[in-house]
Amino acid sequence: MAETVVKLRLNQQQLELIDRTIAQGVAPDRVSLVRLALREYAAARQADAAIEAAR
Amino acid sequence: MTSRQTLAEVILQPGTGKAIELLKGQILRIEQVEGGQCADFNCFNLHDYKEFMHCGRTRTVHGFHPTTGTFMWSAPPRERAMLYILKDTVGRNDVLFPRCSAYVYEAAYGFVVHTNCHDIQAEAQREYGLTPDDVHDSFNLFMCTGVDEDGHAFMTRQTSKPGDHVDLLALMDVLAVPNVCGADVMKTSNFALKPLKLTVFAATDADLAKVPSVPTLASQRTPKDFRNPVIKTDRPLRRDPAYRAEFPNTPIVVTELSVPLAPEELAMFNAVKRSDIYGDDDAAALRDLLFSWWEERFLQAHAGAPAIESK
Repeated sequence: MAETVVKLRLNQQQLELIDRTIAQGVAPDRVSLVRLALREYAAARQADAAIEAAR
Repeated sequence: MTSRQTLAEVILQPGTGKAIELLKGQILRIEQVEGGQCADFNCFNLHDYKEFMHCGRTRTVHGFHPTTGTFMWSAPPRERAMLYILKDTVGRNDVLFPRCSAYVYEAAYGFVVHTNCHDIQAEAQREYGLTPDDVHDSFNLFMCTGVDEDGHAFMTRQTSKPGDHVDLLALMDVLAVPNVCGADVMKTSNFALKPLKLTVFAATDADLAKVPSVPTLASQRTPKDFRNPVIKTDRPLRRDPAYRAEFPNTPIVVTELSVPLAPEELAMFNAVKRSDIYGDDDAAALRDLLFSWWEERFLQAHAGAPAIESK
């Protein structure tokens, strides 16, 4: 299935923070960082939901 | 120095306050004599009164009830740790309420004249040439407060006993201005005005060793960094015709970043995106997700508060 493109709108300060994060070795480039954020954020929400469901 | 040397002792009578020069490395103890008395506290950089203790910054860093192990911070753009709370035998202080004022007692209780923290502070700091306009929100020692479900701050009775005290260690030379809170018709000091004891000590090496290090950053600016370092000496405000705005990082320029999402990534995104806030604006929802993730993974302090640990 084809990829869906989301066009993020980021200002120069937000890009600076992203680029400093990349410089720490967290991800190789901006797009990879956004994808990593999506995966980790979604995984954290899933974990939260599982804990909530187990209560 | 291995034992504390007492430098001064003062009894603050009800309805009064006292401005005290507290030098770096000295400790001000504010102590209950009878118990149950709120002490309002202000302080200024002794060498530049425009730098002063800021309850807003302090509560953002340390919460609504700062106690042992926390700092009193000065206002932006200085944002320096002015005092360190070395010891607090009660552990209940307030940085929610401003100082009480004459207006409160007139508007709510009908008093034409009544003891109040603003006027007591103003009178005490007048000894150093400061005006009533120079009083700022107080750090309210021993005051028991909270926030109710409707978002209003409330106060209730306090539990301090004779001998209970707070020790404030000066991290810079300050003018410390404690006063006996003037509220005798509120729960603040259990409906009575009582004296407080002040003692100034020279800190020991052990006292000084308890202070955590805090960062020194370029953003902690002083008058030498200001575009206008001159203190205005007249009261009317007039436009400076030579003024040219120099806001940092302007203009703000927005750049588009195309992020291709594979079907499984799109499914993940659709499962967690905040459509309740952003509707069908997926770009805004993905930006929110990106920086929310960043906060969770990298932020060392509460959102909106500075990190105070030295790296």
